[in-house]
Amino acid sequence: MSYRVIGIVVLAAILAAVPSIASEYWVALLTQVLIFGLLALSADLLLGHAGLFSLCHAAFFAVSAYTVAILQTRYGVTTIPAAVAGLVAGTLLAAVFASAVRTRGVYFILITLAFGYIVWGVAHRWASFTGGDNGVTNVPPPSLGGLQIVTKAHYYYFVLVVLAICLLGYRILTTSPFGLALRGIKSSESRMRSLGYRVGAHLYVAFIISGFYASLAGVLYIYYNRFVNPVAAGFPISVEAILMAIIGGTGTILGPFIGSGIILVLRNWVSGFFHYYTAVLGLIFIATVLWAPNGVMGLIRSWRSGNRGEGA
Amino acid sequence: MAASNALLEVNDIHTYYGDSYVLHGVSLALNPGKIVVILGRNGMGKTTLVRSIAGLTPPRRGDVKFEGSQLSGQTPYGIAQQGIAIVPQGRRIFKSLTVRENLLLPTSQLAKGKKRAPRVGKQWNLKAVLEEFPQLADRINNLGSALSGGEQQMLAIGRALMANPSTILMDEPSEGLAPKLVQQVQEILLRLRSEGHAILLVEQNLGLALAVADEIYVISSGRFVFHGTSDELSKNSEVLDNHLGVAKGH
Repeated sequence: MSYRVIGIVVLAAILAAVPSIASEYWVALLTQVLIFGLLALSADLLLGHAGLFSLCHAAFFAVSAYTVAILQTRYGVTTIPAAVAGLVAGTLLAAVFASAVRTRGVYFILITLAFGYIVWGVAHRWASFTGGDNGVTNVPPPSLGGLQIVTKAHYYYFVLVVLAICLLGYRILTTSPFGLALRGIKSSESRMRSLGYRVGAHLYVAFIISGFYASLAGVLYIYYNRFVNPVAAGFPISVEAILMAIIGGTGTILGPFIGSGIILVLRNWVSGFFHYYTAVLGLIFIATVLWAPNGVMGLIRSWRSGNRGEGA
Repeated sequence: MAASNALLEVNDIHTYYGDSYVLHGVSLALNPGKIVVILGRNGMGKTTLVRSIAGLTPPRRGDVKFEGSQLSGQTPYGIAQQGIAIVPQGRRIFKSLTVRENLLLPTSQLAKGKKRAPRVGKQWNLKAVLEEFPQLADRINNLGSALSGGEQQMLAIGRALMANPSTILMDEPSEGLAPKLVQQVQEILLRLRSEGHAILLVEQNLGLALAVADEIYVISSGRFVFHGTSDELSKNSEVLDNHLGVAKGH
């Protein structure tokens, strides 16, 4: 326990020091890592805790980003109401898409895939409203009251604070009786039913909470990127979110962020000298599945328990 | 056949798995403070009977009543919330959860309905269960997958007790257990009975059945072929030979 506290303090100190020791490029990249880590974490609430493999999380992410962008650029809505509207829009969409929890296994994957394509299709084809392929541009920087967040370093700190709050909430959620119930459902649905649990209702609520977190990632993304186009709603984003969670380690808080770091840093670094960088990501994913099915966090855990075994 | 004031009543149920016809009209009654044993060989419909009562495999015909109200058509979680707990065959503990988490699952408000069944006997909680099964207390933070078969069985029984049920359906709790542990199962069955719990015990272990049963039903190919007391069964060599495959003079 004390090791965990020390770890969190050290990690927080390192993260807080980044803008003063690293270049703006790295600060921006790390901000992106945190935002996509949050998206991966949202998908992992379903995958790692409830055992549902969703392929539509880009939809909530994009709908909330588009909502904020359109309200700010066309209707002059200020940051806070626009952000709230984005969260509400994404979460409401999740409440509709959550009907997918009536299905399981490959049917759940296919239905969420189809839901994701609907949103992408709307973003892509309804050009008069969404701007089509051009998307929505010129989103202003966020301003909270009189405070405008303009520099990359300031936005990085803002993301860090928001993340700290929502990770605390996530931790409370997953360690609550509700979180325990989700893990029970992942392990055996029929057993949970015969203990008196309404499995469907639990999964429905988990899906909506997951959609809320994805929407929050969308809000953070739009103010980071300042523009949004249909790519944000695309299938690759949904897949990457899931891959980040798997590579980092599902069912953990840190895992999705580690996965996000690995994928985004590699993409930025490898794409500089190797055109087929997605092939490298593919190889990493295959290696993860073969040799580290529990991701980086799983490797760390087995390494630690191995050490403990030697010590004892 | 079933007494009209029984706690749990099963009236002429017919249950299928898809096209296969498993229970061919089975009736029984269970009262508080009684242990009713269903004996039979593998594949005769014992587990199906438990699943039919619990709503996991609802019967196509016939009905199940609990405290006078229909269970037919109710969801498994709704049935559980009325105070019927299952100790499933093969233990079926949550292997990816710790012993503590396994035991706490049934106590969550999320697992309780609005209507709570009246309590029977002592109040079970984490402390009481760990006193009953000290071997679980030693392994409270271990994952379910790290337990031995006997410990898993104790955990499955403890988990059922944590819900403080009035009625417990136990599906072969002695399966694969060492004689000493079967003895422990027997003791707890008798104690639960003396506290007023109603227990439906599905078994293959004739010795355990004879030792605890108030009434025994022998099931064969989805029908009851015998109903009586332990004494009556031990004297009925025809049933013992033909339906249970045990030699006389057990």
